[in-house]
Amino acid sequence: MAELHLRIVTPDRTIVDRKVAEVSFHGVDGGYGVLPNHAPMMTAISDAGVVRIKEMDGSASELFASDGFAQMQHNVLTLVCQAGEFAEDIDMERVKAKEAAAREKLAGLDRLSAEFIKAEASLKKALAREMLVRRRSGTGGLS
Amino acid sequence: MANLKELRGRIKSVASIAQITGAMEMVASMKLRKVQAKAQNFHPYTAEIRHMIERLAGHVSGDADLPLFRQREVKTVGFFVITSDRGLCGSYNSNLLALLDKQIKAAQGEGKQLKFWVYGRKGYAWLTRRGFAVERFFVEPPLDKADFAAAKLVGDELVNSFDEGEVDQVRMIYTEFASVARFVPTDEQFLPITSIAVGEESDNKYELDFLLEPDAETVFNRLMPRYLETVAFDAMLQSLASEHASRRMAMKGATDAAGRMSKDLKKVYNRARQETITKELLDIVGGANAVG
Repeated sequence: MAELHLRIVTPDRTIVDRKVAEVSFHGVDGGYGVLPNHAPMMTAISDAGVVRIKEMDGSASELFASDGFAQMQHNVLTLVCQAGEFAEDIDMERVKAKEAAAREKLAGLDRLSAEFIKAEASLKKALAREMLVRRRSGTGGLS
Repeated sequence: MANLKELRGRIKSVASIAQITGAMEMVASMKLRKVQAKAQNFHPYTAEIRHMIERLAGHVSGDADLPLFRQREVKTVGFFVITSDRGLCGSYNSNLLALLDKQIKAAQGEGKQLKFWVYGRKGYAWLTRRGFAVERFFVEPPLDKADFAAAKLVGDELVNSFDEGEVDQVRMIYTEFASVARFVPTDEQFLPITSIAVGEESDNKYELDFLLEPDAETVFNRLMPRYLETVAFDAMLQSLASEHASRRMAMKGATDAAGRMSKDLKKVYNRARQETITKELLDIVGGANAVG
């Protein structure tokens, strides 16, 4: 059986470089699920998405990945992201602080300004991180 | 003996200078290693982005709307200048600023307006001394601690001012790290992008048959700012590596020179000391003879 190789690359380092069973992530236009032998493709990942990895041994892990691109070629799926963090590495206090800062900023801004969009993206990222951590520790969040 | 005392003082001061420059040399080479490690970790990211661009380029039609590729009449040139914060690094800054001087004069000769974005205190001081207004002087984080987020900030700012028509062209003045002993001041065009061929001009090395969502133009336009960030970060890392390597070389030269100087001084000192002893002996012998 063909195997799927997953690589997640960020500017600081390569986070993941191993064989996995299945990967799902959010693209700009919807969710993607990638199994071995997926057709070659290229797409953009959403600003604040969650990548779910099903390992070879059946266990699952999740990480936060933002602002990147995915490409599939010869059974290698490469995610090129600005940031990527496993749920267990996320610093909740920092996330909370970011969330608060973003909310505060949003309140005083014009909805169409560039700053508004920036602050909104920052809030989205904070919320996605938060949800990931919550889900992991079993205190709410969606499925 | 005033002369002997003076020599002793000089020997001491030369030795302590050698100690300081030796320490600086060691610090610089450690920092250089750190920067090189950073560059190594960063490399896969750049390689992936480049790879995707090459794969995509053939899909983007020649008449697609690519704002960052748009050439227009150049009335204002923006310079992104990378220098060091501190001195004592050989000719690193002066070489770069000589190049900048040349480019400024060339641009002024053609009647263009100039704008500056600067990293490094040396460059900022140089520009303000000549009466140029600096659009933005990046201080936080310092280049030494700069991570990709810093490059993102720079990239965003440059792309924005290009987008809004404040500048028609952006050039990067930085130092290329050719080897640990060779640093080349470089002037590179940052915007509009000319280093990538799109449409039919691109050589299609890759199979064109793959799923592309939402569509080539959208993905490409999203990819470009990311690409520019990697270019900016690469320039920053190369400059930083050059700075440290240059400082290491300068400090090694200084340490060696101090070593030679201290050796010479010691020779002179010993000779002078011997001379005094001989003179004293002669005095004593002469005195004894006179008495006897």
